[in-house]
Amino acid sequence: MTIRKGLSYLAAVTALLAVLAHFHSSVGIAPYSIVLTTTVLFWIAQATSWNLLSGYAGYFSFGQGAYVGVGAYSMAVLTGRHDVGFLWSIPIGGLLGGVLALAVGAVAFRLGSLRGEIFALLTLAVPFLLATFARINMDIDGGQGTVIALPAYPQWVGDAQHMLFYLSLAVAALAVAVALAVHGSRYGHGLAAVHDAEDAAEVLGVPTFRYKMVAIVLGGVLGGMGGAVFAMQIGFVAVESVFGLTIPLFVIVISVLGGRRHWLGPVIGAVLVVVLQDRLSAGGLESLENIVMGALLVGLVIVAPDGLYGRLRARPWLALGAFAVVLIGMSLTGYWAELDALLYAMFAAAIVATLADRFLAQPTPKSPDATFSPTRVAADRSGRTPQPAARAAGAADAGATEVAQLPLLHAAEALPGLAEAAPQAGEARAAEAVVGLGEAAPQAGEARAAEAVVGLGEAAARGRALVSCVGVTRDFGGVRALDGVSLQVFPAEIVGLVGPNGSGKTTLVNLLCGALQPTRGTVAIGGRPIGGLAPHRVAHTGVARTYQIPRPFESMTVRDNVAMAVMFGRTGASLSQARSKAQQHLATVHLGHLADVRPGSLNLHQRQLLEMARAIAAEPVVLLLDEALAGLNPAEIDDAVAVIRRIHATGISIVVVEHLLRVLNQLSTRIVVLDRGAVIADGDPAQVLSDPAVVRAYLGRQRA
Amino acid sequence: MIAVQAALTGALIGGLYALMAAGLSVTWGVLRVINLAHFGLILAGAYLTYELVTGWGLDPILTVVVTAPVLFGVGACLQWAYERMNMVEFNSLLVSFGLLMVTIQLATNTWTADFRRLAATENPYATSSLELGRLILPTTTLLAFVIAAVFIGGGHLLLRHTFLGRGMRAFAQDRTVAAAFGIDHRRLGLLVGGAAGASAAVAGMIFTLTNSLTPAVAYEWFGIVFAVVILGGVGNLLGTLVAGVGVGLLSGLVSVIWSPSTEPFVLFLAIILALLWRPHGLFHRRGVA
Repeated sequence: MTIRKGLSYLAAVTALLAVLAHFHSSVGIAPYSIVLTTTVLFWIAQATSWNLLSGYAGYFSFGQGAYVGVGAYSMAVLTGRHDVGFLWSIPIGGLLGGVLALAVGAVAFRLGSLRGEIFALLTLAVPFLLATFARINMDIDGGQGTVIALPAYPQWVGDAQHMLFYLSLAVAALAVAVALAVHGSRYGHGLAAVHDAEDAAEVLGVPTFRYKMVAIVLGGVLGGMGGAVFAMQIGFVAVESVFGLTIPLFVIVISVLGGRRHWLGPVIGAVLVVVLQDRLSAGGLESLENIVMGALLVGLVIVAPDGLYGRLRARPWLALGAFAVVLIGMSLTGYWAELDALLYAMFAAAIVATLADRFLAQPTPKSPDATFSPTRVAADRSGRTPQPAARAAGAADAGATEVAQLPLLHAAEALPGLAEAAPQAGEARAAEAVVGLGEAAPQAGEARAAEAVVGLGEAAARGRALVSCVGVTRDFGGVRALDGVSLQVFPAEIVGLVGPNGSGKTTLVNLLCGALQPTRGTVAIGGRPIGGLAPHRVAHTGVARTYQIPRPFESMTVRDNVAMAVMFGRTGASLSQARSKAQQHLATVHLGHLADVRPGSLNLHQRQLLEMARAIAAEPVVLLLDEALAGLNPAEIDDAVAVIRRIHATGISIVVVEHLLRVLNQLSTRIVVLDRGAVIADGDPAQVLSDPAVVRAYLGRQRA
Repeated sequence: MIAVQAALTGALIGGLYALMAAGLSVTWGVLRVINLAHFGLILAGAYLTYELVTGWGLDPILTVVVTAPVLFGVGACLQWAYERMNMVEFNSLLVSFGLLMVTIQLATNTWTADFRRLAATENPYATSSLELGRLILPTTTLLAFVIAAVFIGGGHLLLRHTFLGRGMRAFAQDRTVAAAFGIDHRRLGLLVGGAAGASAAVAGMIFTLTNSLTPAVAYEWFGIVFAVVILGGVGNLLGTLVAGVGVGLLSGLVSVIWSPSTEPFVLFLAIILALLWRPHGLFHRRGVA
């Protein structure tokens, strides 16, 4: 669903609700329904705003009460003491909520070692601090809480309850609109990448700090506005009612119940939780409320940690059927109140949707962008036979164009099988295979040419250094990991970086991509010093890297993983452009046939190829491969080497960190050896590998 | 003189914070479970003590004979469930948050939200105190500190010098490798979870000895206890004790110099600064990242 379409649906639903409320007596809606819906809307706004940071980006916050409280107190103090109109107090409450969020984010996200748990605990502290503040400053609420008088409102609104309803509706609609727009946008994809693998997102060019700040501030503004309306709704603001743990508990239960990765999740959760809460208090069971909510949270995390949205989406008709059957059945008996029937019907739908997978055949999982689900089976099938493509790569690399025809035949043979399984998918795949091969062959030719240039006149080909480290030292506490390392990488080089374990190779890579700052010395990319630049800025100067242990974005397809790098890379692109470009990059590493699967179903070799595809999708000038061949079998190594050559042929300089000297000997144009943090050799592969000092570093003194 | 008195009393009370934090710190450090339900266990320990003293007329300190084994069992069961459901770090934080809400509400439903305090007749330690020159140390506070210090010190020695403790530290550093060397992480987990539960029983007892009890008090522990856990270094028992005493001392000083209500500000400022400069606790020896 596009953002525009989603927003128009949302506008329609909002208008419908407003009209229904306005004519409620004519259409036979009980006034109590309006009260209850107002509560639902409050929680929708809160859970949705919480979800921006905590759901999309995965930074769980226990501090939602702080924003609600700031909003509520703004309303109380502004209308009660400063004669500010309530319509003005709502945005001011939002503004102050945003300022608070800005402060929290500025402190929390600056902490380098901040892990999710620490963030959660810090946010837990914020409402406590504000509560203390409100208690100390008696003039805020007199120490006892403060009453909010109902303001004057125009005649057409109806009664006070209607006014609250419209205000809540406006805030909730705004919150959902923001969540919806974020979800479908480039920004939302960036947040999802932060959720899945923050470090990897940053080095691909996602400005993670800024994105998290925007998310927390949006959440604070919306939370504050909701809090301001909430204050009018409860009519009496006291420290306990806003800064307690009830608000975070409800917000978390609602979002976990509904689902945190989609904007509809909190909406679904809010409806269910509020009706449940209402029925509990109607049955005189208020004292059980927190017990039920707590137990629900525990049960959910165990049984359905992803929430109901995904489950409902996988089995919409089954859930709807269960809902209708229970609702109609209970209504017909006439014994149950309407809301009871509604509650039980919703529960029936939720339970059926959640447990369906256990008792029925596995349904086709749907991705948020439903474009690929029908082809998934075919993709999985072809996933088991990646050899034809890989062979084709090897063959093309070996030299000539005529050989390429052979694998083409292979591919053609493989086609009927695929075509049977899913005709459309098969065709698509055939097209891809042809494109991939067509590209592979000329590139192989280029690779030779590029190598020839380097071989012929190194001095001539070496222009300005792309990467240049001068006297780089890096300490970790008392340990010196790198000691005065100077290293340059020139255009069209493949530099092999070797050294025993602990010699500082990975530290050097981390310095080059900006993840670490040198203690002393400078690193420059393309002549521009990168000292002090955030890794995503370094990425934009043209550095890309892979991780030794691949860190894909697990919630996205292989294609979207690569598309992320295109979107956030140096050139930048819209999502649809990025997806088609991603397909080309996947073809370069021969993963085109797996574009629609999730990274979770790839093997190690394929995950490492995905890392490379993602890295080159950022269109770097220098690619840093950190042990990209570790843990592969010999056939896979040959395949990976071919891929590296192909990447090199597109004009990207490469730094390979690797232990396999045999491979480096063939692959690299130059080898740099690190030992205990210092460069001990730098030069032609054959020469370096026979250097006694190098042999000693690797094999010990006696052998040399 | 008032400041010295306040600092000293604060430092002694800090022992209680440290004991509360110890269980949390060890399960977090060794088992990677952030068990917010630990506060529920302390609360349960406190109310059980109260019941045993008022109902059965037991000496408050002797109640530990009953409460510690009971909460050892509960803690072990809890750990068994976390292990079974594969709850670590984030999920454990969420699940235990739910459990804590349930516990607090159950306590409210059983004992109401009223403040309860052991009467002077039931609490033989309440009225006596030790006088050192012009400094007065209430026996309860002194006892609280001594018990906490003994318990934490014992735990530290166990971790440092026994085979079991070495196994735990190995397990905390690398689960897979530890398991490959024959460390039975399930049994170890049950033991650690149980010990944390028992420490909660003792902490609850001490709290009842020195304070009024209401279910919502569990929330008030949050800030100070997490401050101690983080400042002391997750999984570092001795660090926890030192951090507890330090935090108590600081709170005591702040409350006489400014006002008691500014305590939380100072504490959280301390946590934030500590996280900025010493993210692994105050006593962490730095090495290669």
